[in-house]
Amino acid sequence: PAGGVSLRLCSTRVTLEGINKPLIERIIRVDHAGEYGANRIYAGQMAVLGRSSVGPIIRQMWNQEKDHLKKFNELMVAYRVRPTVLLPFWNVAGFVLGAGSALLGKKGAMACTVAVEESISDHYNSQIRALMEDPEKYKDLLQVF
Amino acid sequence: LRCQLSPPQRALRTSAVLRRVSEEQKEPLASSSQQQFDSHPTDPRPEQEPQGPRPSYTGQGGQESEDYESEEQLQHRILTAALEFVPEHGWTAEAIAEGAKTLGLSVAAAGMFHSDGSELVLHFVSQCNTKLSELLEQEQKQVQLGEAEKKPTEQFLRDAVEARLRMLIPYIEKWPQALSILLLPHNIPASLNLLTSMIDDIWHYAGDQSTDFNWYTRRAVLTGVYNTTELVMMQDSSPDFEDTWRFLENRVADAVNMGNTANQVQSTGEAVVQGLMGAAVTVSN
Repeated sequence: PAGGVSLRLCSTRVTLEGINKPLIERIIRVDHAGEYGANRIYAGQMAVLGRSSVGPIIRQMWNQEKDHLKKFNELMVAYRVRPTVLLPFWNVAGFVLGAGSALLGKKGAMACTVAVEESISDHYNSQIRALMEDPEKYKDLLQVF
Repeated sequence: LRCQLSPPQRALRTSAVLRRVSEEQKEPLASSSQQQFDSHPTDPRPEQEPQGPRPSYTGQGGQESEDYESEEQLQHRILTAALEFVPEHGWTAEAIAEGAKTLGLSVAAAGMFHSDGSELVLHFVSQCNTKLSELLEQEQKQVQLGEAEKKPTEQFLRDAVEARLRMLIPYIEKWPQALSILLLPHNIPASLNLLTSMIDDIWHYAGDQSTDFNWYTRRAVLTGVYNTTELVMMQDSSPDFEDTWRFLENRVADAVNMGNTANQVQSTGEAVVQGLMGAAVTVSN
């Protein structure tokens, strides 16, 4: 929408009828950033604990996150959403968090993972609630969740 | 007695806009228009259909027939008509007034808009962007149907920017004025919005699917290419702007080169890091 101009200028972006585009964009952008960060956390943990006994467990969880990230990459392209500008920051911060918690030992690494997963699931639940206001419109997105 | 029938004009919500035809239809009933017909037996107007209630001037009755035109649509029509007068009057209220006149409205209709011609420029830019999107969409369809070859990225970007800049040619004399209007502080949000969505469109149709920071670098680079080429075009006096297109070709080649170089630097960097890690492991053993 234009600033102070009284005319509403037609955007060149294709609008998918009826859906709340800003809401969808925010959801996809935030979730993508989250999955990207989670990937980097596991990468950091693997760098420290990769050769220990929990290595395989961490690798398995990391692979799951890779799948999630792939899914959000596809959604991002489909809905033409821009990625967050903070990606380089999450790249470093995630890795540092993962490596840092791993340096505290296996329990530290697990605790970090649990905390991250809990907050992600709270976050996704509130997004689902937002989308459930009109389940039909957002059917595709809800299935991803 | 001149026939007082109003031409099939749409009713306007804006009461400030004055019509040339003075008679106002306060009673939007088919019967009243019939009465007019009766008083002018020698002047049959077959095209004047006595349809349902015409929306009244002041919006009484509140019914919207298919005839009803929103204020916004009317503004679009006026601005589109005004473009014809831009080469002569520039991006100004005068051009808008002339445009309104060709639609049968009074010049006071220009009062609906800002006096600095902002809306006219923004309307034109928006129109050009829409045309570009349609053009790119068409090309994409042709490739999908197999009627055309998929262009390499460099050529695609060049052609898209050239197509978009060529739309400025009829107004090139007054385009510097338009650029300065677009840079006015109160227009910046709108003009920036139009610019970014146009660049995003071009990359989308070029097949960009990046989901990392590349998304930003690509668009920033293309924006730079577009803006510099636009400025070069202002000063270009070569036949059919061939200097501009050559400049564009070089800039796009630079941009693509930059991307390749960045990739090379990154893979070299990664190789170096791997080498160092290997050395560290060896030393630690």
